[in-house]
Amino acid sequence: MEQFTLEIIQDTLIAAGDEMFKTLERTSMSPIIYESLDYAVGITNSKGELLAQGNGITAFLAALDSVVCSTLEKYSGDNSLQKGDVIITNTPYAGGGTHLSDVSVIYPVFYKEELIAFTVNKAHWTELGGTYPGSVSTVATEIFQEGLHFPFIKIKSMGKINQSIIDMIKVNVRLPDSTLGDLYAGIAAAEIGAKRVINIIEKYGLETYKKAGISFLNYGERVSLEALKTIPNGIYEGNSTIEDNGFGEGPFPIKAKITITDKELIVDFNGSHPQVKGAVNLSFNGLVTGCRSIFKAITTPQMDANGGAFRPLKVLCNPGTIVSAESPAAVSIYYETLVTSIDLIWKILAPLIPDKLPAGHLRSVCATFISGVHPDTNQFYIQAEPLAGGWGASNSHDGNRGQLSCGSGESYNIPVEIREMRYGIQVEQYAFHNEGGGYGEYQGGNGQYVDYKILSDGANLTAAFLGEKTKTWGMNGGHDGSYNYFKIIRKNGIEERHSLGTNIYLEKGDIVRCVTATGGGYGKPEDRPIEQILLDIKNGYITKKQAEKAYKITL
Amino acid sequence: MRVATDIGGTFTDLVCLKFDKKLGKVTDIKVSKTDTTPSNFEEGILNAISKSKLNLNEVDFFVHGTTVVINALTERKGAKTALITTKGFRDVLEIARCNRPDLFNFNFIKQPPFVPRYLRFEVDERMNYKGEIVTELNLDNLENIAKVCKEEKVEALAICLLHAYKNPENEIKLIQKLKLLLPEIEIIASHEITREWREYERSSTTVLSGYVLPIAKKYLNKLEANLKRNGLSKIPYIMQSNGGITTINDVKSNPITMVESGPASGVFGAIALGKVIDKKNLIVLDIGGTTAKCALIENGQVKITTNYKIDHSRTQAGYPIQTPVIDIVEIGNGGGSIAWIDTGGKMHVGPKSAGAIPGPAAYGRGGKNLTTTDANIILGRIHPDYFLGGELKPDYRSIHAASKSLCNALNTSKEAIAKGIIRVANANMTNALKLISVNKGYDPRDFSMVVIGGGGAMHGADLARELQVSELIVPLHAGVFSAFGMLMSDLRRDLIRTNVIALVDKTKIIIQAVFKEMRNDAIEKYKADGFSEALIKFTYYTDLRYAGQEHYVKVELPNFSKDTPLDEIINNFHTLHKKQYSFSLEAQVELVNFHLIAEVKVDKPDFPKLKNTGKKIEEALFGNQDVDFDDLGKHNTIFYNRELLEPNMRIKGPAVIAEKATTTLVTPVQQLKVDMYGNLIITMK
Repeated sequence: MEQFTLEIIQDTLIAAGDEMFKTLERTSMSPIIYESLDYAVGITNSKGELLAQGNGITAFLAALDSVVCSTLEKYSGDNSLQKGDVIITNTPYAGGGTHLSDVSVIYPVFYKEELIAFTVNKAHWTELGGTYPGSVSTVATEIFQEGLHFPFIKIKSMGKINQSIIDMIKVNVRLPDSTLGDLYAGIAAAEIGAKRVINIIEKYGLETYKKAGISFLNYGERVSLEALKTIPNGIYEGNSTIEDNGFGEGPFPIKAKITITDKELIVDFNGSHPQVKGAVNLSFNGLVTGCRSIFKAITTPQMDANGGAFRPLKVLCNPGTIVSAESPAAVSIYYETLVTSIDLIWKILAPLIPDKLPAGHLRSVCATFISGVHPDTNQFYIQAEPLAGGWGASNSHDGNRGQLSCGSGESYNIPVEIREMRYGIQVEQYAFHNEGGGYGEYQGGNGQYVDYKILSDGANLTAAFLGEKTKTWGMNGGHDGSYNYFKIIRKNGIEERHSLGTNIYLEKGDIVRCVTATGGGYGKPEDRPIEQILLDIKNGYITKKQAEKAYKITL
Repeated sequence: MRVATDIGGTFTDLVCLKFDKKLGKVTDIKVSKTDTTPSNFEEGILNAISKSKLNLNEVDFFVHGTTVVINALTERKGAKTALITTKGFRDVLEIARCNRPDLFNFNFIKQPPFVPRYLRFEVDERMNYKGEIVTELNLDNLENIAKVCKEEKVEALAICLLHAYKNPENEIKLIQKLKLLLPEIEIIASHEITREWREYERSSTTVLSGYVLPIAKKYLNKLEANLKRNGLSKIPYIMQSNGGITTINDVKSNPITMVESGPASGVFGAIALGKVIDKKNLIVLDIGGTTAKCALIENGQVKITTNYKIDHSRTQAGYPIQTPVIDIVEIGNGGGSIAWIDTGGKMHVGPKSAGAIPGPAAYGRGGKNLTTTDANIILGRIHPDYFLGGELKPDYRSIHAASKSLCNALNTSKEAIAKGIIRVANANMTNALKLISVNKGYDPRDFSMVVIGGGGAMHGADLARELQVSELIVPLHAGVFSAFGMLMSDLRRDLIRTNVIALVDKTKIIIQAVFKEMRNDAIEKYKADGFSEALIKFTYYTDLRYAGQEHYVKVELPNFSKDTPLDEIINNFHTLHKKQYSFSLEAQVELVNFHLIAEVKVDKPDFPKLKNTGKKIEEALFGNQDVDFDDLGKHNTIFYNRELLEPNMRIKGPAVIAEKATTTLVTPVQQLKVDMYGNLIITMK
């Protein structure tokens, strides 16, 4: 009967994770947290092994356990953690690292003087200072330009808040209320998780609790191994590129070699381009996170995240490449390279497991950061958000329309009605486009146009839309999709097309048109039923002209 | 005579109270259950009426709850619906919120919209966020839209324009013109249903309202005519999802308010019961065949939300409906939930259910999977003579066969598996119950737990122990409690409006003005139904947050008047925020939504008392058998017949109380008392 008790403890830990997740969402001050859900919360054992994780996005899967491990490395021996300590960090190059905007809160949980767990969360704070609003830049060349850096510091020491750090944050960021609000939300979420862990131990006893942790990790490993057996063994290779580093240089190759056996899946990224000037570098920890999310997608997509489940995954890459960057590389738009790395593994493996992986999707977060002064309130605003686009078709269905990239997940768009109140922006259209592509037996999902009209002078735009020169990929005879890019349509009618841009100056009346890609098609276009093609035309998903050309029909 | 009829997924319930008008005392109660008739719901009601030999001439008050709306939605049996939006935004309905709840499934399939793209039209017009017109409404396009609607045989047309929650002027103009162009079809605009922001949620709400409008209207008209023909002279009342009732005429214009009326009435029945027995803090748990639902009642009030979604799950985003629904948490755990083992060797219970057909293995109708009900039988908790209302004997061979694969996989006995199933099922329910209590800052020890539905009483004892609630209440007629609740409900309207303002002295005037407008709106609607202003009781709520936050906390404004100090409201908010989220801030407080509840009390009989005829407890005893209470051991346990229990009888656990619709478990550490209303009150010894 003990087995059932252990499983109930695991489920209770997962419920505690859900509760921490909700707390952070509901108390945060940053839209990128409460709408995009760009954060994760988790519980690890005293060694940093992951027992429960609540995710808003896929991209933080290696962020929580490894940040605890790095915390334990710094605070050991005479310097070890005390009850009431709370650590914050955003170091990209150590455990948990992505970019400076993602701040981790690490909360050691003590039971009768013994360190027995960590509750931890990592969230994208909208503002951390640095050269440009939103702490993101496509033209940063060193991390020092990207904002405040917290190298595993104690924000609370034995229960007492470190006011000096608070004061320092306050004067170094552009939206101090929001930044500090996010800090308090992170601490509150971790505190609640800690309370729940203690409740569980009080109910079931410390020994049973510890046993449940071990059993859960082993369970995760077993489930992963079972799933791994269904993927054909072999060695598979492929490559991709980062098109541009923000300075018009590139493309930069990324290489992956994947070895699959029944016992493990090894991804070797050696041979990828050295780290570059510009902010598209990905740290090794970020790479591991990306590999974990695609590994989970092909093995245990529905299982609750669990450290044991990742034991069969090995990620290899020597330091200093564009996917294993070292200090002082700039990393603020690491997420584009992260998504590219996931997409590369995806493209290599999709033909082996077409029931789990469809054709290529928009492959970019298409994040925009628009800052300016609200015309009615005169307050400074930063609108930061990822954009949705088309997903690839698979061997059983057409691609989805209006969905955020694989790097996001349970993330939401910002409603027009809320956006227009909060920011000095009017949305002119929010619609699917007909830029073509994605034809096949199953059609790729349409990309979309989002037009922002700027309502006050002196606004600025930073954005990164990789895929401006590379279409989303089709599969098994399906056509490639289309491109991601953005355009500035000036008041005087002049149009400028971009892939990456930092602090582009905007005047009242200018329009920013964001264009996200249509996903790749699956199967040969001639196998698509004619009724389906006619319905697509009726719905305007494709034009008559496109249908005649791609599907070779005459209307 | 007062009659309530409640159509559920499987059964149509009827409760009839005869009472002495002068004394307000109930003189007789009739309860009946008939099969639901999905192809023709009103037939089920008429069957129930004739089965109970009711004379509709004598009925003073008739209230009805129905699943017709939720069925039309989940089974996609609604009308062919079109949508009109602001130019540039017809794809909002399909883009939805762009989320992927099944976040690691890269082969995810997004739920399709209820209106295909070729029936989503646009008109040139634009309002800004302040409700000011930026682009004038251009009606030139309407004739063309009307033409396509006719060609495509559209049956309902929904209109949702940007910022119409703030200023519905253009929606009103559109409706007026379209009603002339398309007199045969139903036309509904967003501002008629919801005045909250978020264009996708409002579009979805309007579309789904339009989608169910023709079918619901037809149903209500037929029902009304049939009842009238059979002698009912009074206007029937209809149960809504906010726990209140309204007139049949009112609901015809906005039937989406009926979407969750079943669970709502169960919860309101519990509130009504709580008032009578003086218990204002309740946790209500309703366990059915497929799901368990729970709600928290604080000080006699349950929260109303507009965050309701249909077809929503851990892996699907669902479709939002911004209509006032009582705050219920629902999980996929009921009597028919199937136990299964995953590839890692972990046992799960639910969310898949064996349903009514084939049902649990014990039904012997070919059910090959072990369910929670089967586990309860294995442990001896259900008496074979009282299984399924005594209509069926459990099929033990079928249970044994169904347990085999689980026993083999986990290398253990049938009894251990059964205990495991109950533990897992109870843990799932405990997590749901914590979600509405502990996680929101409430201490279950301050609450009584009311269990209803077929499975509530079976699991209540263990859950009450786990949560340490002060007592467990198994009401009389727990099986038809929803219908009972309707007879105890009042007329109620929930008006909610988004209007974001800072809570500072100079905005006080806005607060007064908005509430006044909403009051007038409510008064007008009640007047149309024949109720005067003097009868209406108003309760004021606001949704507040710290400036910069997105989510809010609902704060009541007790005794609200123009003199209510802002400080008091703000302080209440700080306290509630701290209670729910463990911290408060010194930041500016913002008001997001105004929420006004307008109620009209219905003249109701007292809660019926159970007669005491002087029976002895021994008369109720009908057998004994070994019952496995898991961690509390296996005990030879006495079984009682609930129908023979009378007020003030006391029973010490271990004991089992059997009745037709449910079975109540009393563990060895608990004791039971029958109160004067026939409720079973279970406490720790």
